[in-house]
Amino acid sequence: MKSKDQEYKEIFLAEALENHEELNRLLTLLEKKSDDTKSVNAIFRITHTLKGNAAGMGFQNVADFAHVLEDFFGEVRDGNLALDDAIFTNLFKAVDVLGALINAIKDDGKVQFRGIKTKLEVLLKSVRQETASTKKEDKPIENKTARSATKPKQKPAKKVSKARRPAADLKSEKKSVPDHHAKMVEEGENTQEAPDTKMTFSDLVQVPVRKLDNLLNLVGELVIERDRIIAVNAGNMDSNEYARLNRVSSDLQYSVMDVRLVQVGFLFNKFHRVARDAASLEGKKVSLNLKGTDTEIDRNILQIISDSLIHLIRNAVGHGIETPDERKKAGKPEEGRIVLSAFSESDAVIIEIKDDGTGIDAAAVRDKAIKKGLISAEDARQMSDNDAILMIFEPGFSTMDQVTSISGRGVGMDVVKKALDSIGGNVSVHAELGKGTTFSLRLPSSMAVKGTLLFELGAETYAIPLAYTEAVVSLYKPDLHKVSNGLVATYLDKTISVVFLQDLFALKNWESVYQDKVLHRSFDDLDPQKKLDIIIVSYNGRTIGFVVDKLLQQKEIVEKPLMKPMDRVKIISGVTIMGNGHVCLVFNVAAICNMIFTKNFSSKNMMSYQ
Amino acid sequence: MSDNTSLKMDEPNETKEQSLETQQLIVFRQGTEEYGLHIDQIKEVVLTPNITKMPQTPNYVKGVANIRGNIIGIIDLEEKFGIKEATTTDRANKENNYTLVVESDEFKVGILVTEVPNTLSVSSADMEHSINIVHDHNVNSEYIQAIVKLKDRLIILIDIFKVLNEQELETVTSNTVGAG
Repeated sequence: MKSKDQEYKEIFLAEALENHEELNRLLTLLEKKSDDTKSVNAIFRITHTLKGNAAGMGFQNVADFAHVLEDFFGEVRDGNLALDDAIFTNLFKAVDVLGALINAIKDDGKVQFRGIKTKLEVLLKSVRQETASTKKEDKPIENKTARSATKPKQKPAKKVSKARRPAADLKSEKKSVPDHHAKMVEEGENTQEAPDTKMTFSDLVQVPVRKLDNLLNLVGELVIERDRIIAVNAGNMDSNEYARLNRVSSDLQYSVMDVRLVQVGFLFNKFHRVARDAASLEGKKVSLNLKGTDTEIDRNILQIISDSLIHLIRNAVGHGIETPDERKKAGKPEEGRIVLSAFSESDAVIIEIKDDGTGIDAAAVRDKAIKKGLISAEDARQMSDNDAILMIFEPGFSTMDQVTSISGRGVGMDVVKKALDSIGGNVSVHAELGKGTTFSLRLPSSMAVKGTLLFELGAETYAIPLAYTEAVVSLYKPDLHKVSNGLVATYLDKTISVVFLQDLFALKNWESVYQDKVLHRSFDDLDPQKKLDIIIVSYNGRTIGFVVDKLLQQKEIVEKPLMKPMDRVKIISGVTIMGNGHVCLVFNVAAICNMIFTKNFSSKNMMSYQ
Repeated sequence: MSDNTSLKMDEPNETKEQSLETQQLIVFRQGTEEYGLHIDQIKEVVLTPNITKMPQTPNYVKGVANIRGNIIGIIDLEEKFGIKEATTTDRANKENNYTLVVESDEFKVGILVTEVPNTLSVSSADMEHSINIVHDHNVNSEYIQAIVKLKDRLIILIDIFKVLNEQELETVTSNTVGAG
């Protein structure tokens, strides 16, 4: 994995080389038509940009050189300096040297650039003197700086010594060398070796994301096809037969996924502004610290969660951090601290937003949830504080009573939750009253491949994302108990509710779940000897067991979205194509849990909390 | 050609089906009747692939299938029109041989047919647009575009997107969306 510096350097180089190309092009244009002010302005702009970028990156040689060019063209632009052939020769040489300097950054080579630079500086100086003193004679001023003893540049060059020395050189030269009518041509050779004119190409290629998406799709199909072929021929082929195909296609898949990875820093860096704006609106003092900015994540995932992160940051400022007065009273430093950090954990990326503000009042959340009818009072009492806090992600929940411009606009945290659900991510909250809150988002690092568990239900095969599954257990009928309208079982000493998936799927719509005994149907017909395969999933702090007909295997799948109008079926998030060409539906745990818990089921019968 | 265009212009408020051009239809049998679709609404006809049942969809939606890498909803129009009794996806997998793939900007769906559909050129003179059909109130007949009358045949020309856009499909599936 590349360090951040190196990545920035690569980007700088790509841009600088592009600038260099453009300079070459413009200069050629300008030579043909020396009164083209547009080109002059463009060159001025480009050199200016290059100077800024190079200075920012600490490539002082390039920055200085670009600076001289910039000044030079500044004079040309202002009409103080007319261009003639001799000057062009020098300018082209200067641009070549600039290119060489840029390339030297890449391979750490040494480039002699003093000579040409000094030449330009002398030219500039004389122009300025002239315009200052006498009314300028409209004649190009050339200078002789035939100093064959140009010293090789020193690396790493210190800003001060570098900036000073040419100037010193210049002064001494100014005296010894007559201002006018020096011959440029002759000293071109001895100041430095002829610049290398070989073509240079950037090491970076810019590719639209759309093309990458397409590539990833194709690779996905390839993998599906590979699995299909292997499945078809599984019986009559040596299992090693496909090892190579397997390996190459896997490598291809991972390479494509790797291409799509970007560093979270690109997004994180934008949040300084978000936090600042939010803080100044609220009259609070906040500092944002970034950690783990070089963590890599799929570009599309980053895009999907970017709004959520903005929301969470604003939330941390708006709800988490107190006003400076409150903070002082609480014995905290006036300035609130928000830490935005990212790190990789196996194939997931964790992003944490941590603030040192008030924390979240679990009791207040409970009250509010009860008031809004999201849970019953008894359930609320049984919930742990952290679980209760998870209620803030329920649709229609917002703790702040008054609406501010920053947060509490009714679009609550459920937006965050939804964004996470759509990519198979997770969120957890850890809050300590008076000390602060930590939101921790668990994101898949790539969208392409999903680890799933395959199971059979009815005649069909379904896949359930491993991101949500906790465990798989086998129970028998006596292990299940009817409690009111639902079923419960014991798992790891916890009472969890159990649902026969076939009962759910048989429903025409969710309203009919209210009919008596709907969820007992399969249970009633059950043979006590039959072993039940139960997949235990947890979502947003709730645990539920799904009874399936048969567990198959674990499989990495490439998920495809459903097309209209089928995409309206929310309990299915997508499909994958199996080895035999059949379509396998991917279960949307988030949606199904939302439906079961939030709306239609009475919480008392169905819910269970650890 | 110019005659045709002027003719079209002269008929206010009439769709292009009204002009005297011949039109290409795809004709397929549903139950004992023949139904027709405009050829430009059809993308292709394929052997029906394995259909995977979709939970929480109306019964006439048989499920989804993989057609050339696209996952497409498969619909049984016979069931939708009340021509036959409801069947299961299993039976649909065994019985229906061909799938008409219908495509619009909005979506793609497959329609199950038992026989290979034919193409047919009909003159718009043979189309009867204003039709009054006695039907019970459950059936929305808006999707019936015209009745094509040939010597011994009667073809019901339908606008497939009207069939699919019907409120019904919306509401049934949106029941499941409610909480999401």
